[in-house]
Amino acid sequence: MVDEKKLREKAKEVLARDDVRRLIGWKRGTYGYESAPVVIKDASEAEELIFDPTCVQNPASFITLEEKPPVPRGQEPDTRKVAVMVKGCDSRAVVQQLVEKAYPRDGVIVLGVPCTGVVDRRKAQKMFGDTSEPVLIKEEGDKFVFTIDGETKEGPRAELLADKCVRCRFPNPLVYDELVADEVAVWGADEFTDVDEFEKKSPEEKWKFWEEQFSKCIRCYSCRNVCPMCYCLECVVTKQRPQWTRRSTDVSENTAYHIQRAWHLSGRCIECGECERVCPVDIPIMTLNRKMTRDVKEMFSFEPGIDVEAEPLLSCYNPQDPEEYIM
Amino acid sequence: MGDYKFAKDKLAEVVGALKDYEVFAPTAVGDVLRFKQVEDASGVSLDYKNTNVPPKELMFPETETLFKFRVGQTEIEPAVPDESSKRLVFGIRPCDAMAYTIVEKLYSWDYPDPYFEGRRSSSVLFGLACSEPVPNCFCTSMGGGPGSEQGLDALMFDLGETVYVKTLTDAGEEAAKAMGLEAAGDAEKKAAAAQEKEAQGKIKRTLDTEGIPEKLPSLYDHPFWEEFSDRCLSCGICTFLCPTCHCFDIQDETEVFNGRRARMWDTCMFPEYSLHTSGHNPRPTRKERTRNRISHKYSYFPEKFDVIACVGCGRCINYCPVNIDILDILEKSKKAEAKEAKTA
Repeated sequence: MVDEKKLREKAKEVLARDDVRRLIGWKRGTYGYESAPVVIKDASEAEELIFDPTCVQNPASFITLEEKPPVPRGQEPDTRKVAVMVKGCDSRAVVQQLVEKAYPRDGVIVLGVPCTGVVDRRKAQKMFGDTSEPVLIKEEGDKFVFTIDGETKEGPRAELLADKCVRCRFPNPLVYDELVADEVAVWGADEFTDVDEFEKKSPEEKWKFWEEQFSKCIRCYSCRNVCPMCYCLECVVTKQRPQWTRRSTDVSENTAYHIQRAWHLSGRCIECGECERVCPVDIPIMTLNRKMTRDVKEMFSFEPGIDVEAEPLLSCYNPQDPEEYIM
Repeated sequence: MGDYKFAKDKLAEVVGALKDYEVFAPTAVGDVLRFKQVEDASGVSLDYKNTNVPPKELMFPETETLFKFRVGQTEIEPAVPDESSKRLVFGIRPCDAMAYTIVEKLYSWDYPDPYFEGRRSSSVLFGLACSEPVPNCFCTSMGGGPGSEQGLDALMFDLGETVYVKTLTDAGEEAAKAMGLEAAGDAEKKAAAAQEKEAQGKIKRTLDTEGIPEKLPSLYDHPFWEEFSDRCLSCGICTFLCPTCHCFDIQDETEVFNGRRARMWDTCMFPEYSLHTSGHNPRPTRKERTRNRISHKYSYFPEKFDVIACVGCGRCINYCPVNIDILDILEKSKKAEAKEAKTA
């Protein structure tokens, strides 16, 4: 259990430092089952910070979302650090960003938040309905206890956890400068049964499935923008010269977009599930990413976002790498 | 105009009787609803709240061909919608219909847009009043309401076993005749009025818009925008799913010798939207983009067309994955200390 008082104290301490310019964490949302990510610049705002099962978002996404406009002549760039609060899953994004040298290790202060699982908004909405007030959620044993519009309701933890939490193997942050609570016991395991299940479909069934899913896509790019690993300054799908993907939406261009994105994430996706969570038209994007993740794991014994010292999979070579697919 | 009714279990027959119309109604793919042309009337249902994608796409599709051409030749083949075709939008929510009346002001302004106008003028709108507003609805603050008639040709009230239909225009009357509806009495009218009142009471979120359009320009450089823009993903959810957002990009697409000029939804939340050829971007960060989205709806648009470009459907709040809540922004804008006014 995370003591929010301690979390806020730690945040204040970090924000009071001269070499820190902002801190990314979570605060209470304005309605419903999810928190809001928050960027705090002053210690006086730290009282807003929370951590509970509504804190599904990955704060690591916001490290790379920050624009770096050119510094006006005569001014010095702001080199102060960014502090970020991360759950275990979120920390894998920081690890992978460091592996890819997205920023230097001493450019960030990582406050680790051991986590016992967050609630999936869609599952909670189906069980308890919608509300225009913020919902409070507490974990009690194998249940989540909700306060919805002043009423207390309970639901089984196993049915309400986000999918990523059901199979979570890393509830404790893998990289941190400080932990804000004691480490928790690992409860999950990942046998890729969802991938096995999907692979049972025939090629025709798979095509029909994805054709229907991609036909819904409105190309809002929320999946790409929220992704902590999609931090290219210019994305291949928005490039105009040459234009690899058309801007028009149809099942062909939408499919091209999603397949390109899945490929660009192979060996890089850290499975925070944010892409699928944010999708306004419920495309099961993680089904694509999970297949790539398993292939990478089986073929190259590689898992991204685990080891800060690792080399990025696609820019290293091992003579033992399988080559069956080449010949 | 007239008062009609039909038994809800006869819904398929009623819709099926519209043989002279292309009928559009909410269609589900999994849990996702959007308006599509009805192929089988038995699949039409009145049991839904708001569609995920607003029916603006019926007048202003995600992607549409403007004209076709052959590479190296000067003739073009226009692809303007046929105004004489009869289209009927069945079950549109009052907020989404009201949105057409706002977007119309722009699309019929200095240069009448034949694509939007062609579809709009050939469409009959059969609205469906809301009995169960969704959590972030605030239509009653924006001059609409669960039983608002703005922009509609007829309004339906789902009363359980019976559907009460109130026609509002000649086009609505004509369509009601084609549906073969029976006359409604005082009982249905009373039940509809009671339902509307009850639905109004269920709307929890409100906004007093007084003074907002005048104040926003004075907050041009105000740091309060960053409280929201710092967590913005710069994605297209809020604008693409907004029933009044109407911006588009234009692209030429060719395949060997055949080409088309097409337009597709664009959004001021993408950095490419305002990127100049020179490489300069006047809205370089999410702060300027967030400010523009809100200011355009609540200040620049009303300044020009005398109406706020927001109907309170709540979609930008419901679907924002990082809880950027337009009502929260506007409430905070009222409290922010104004500086000297500056225009966009």
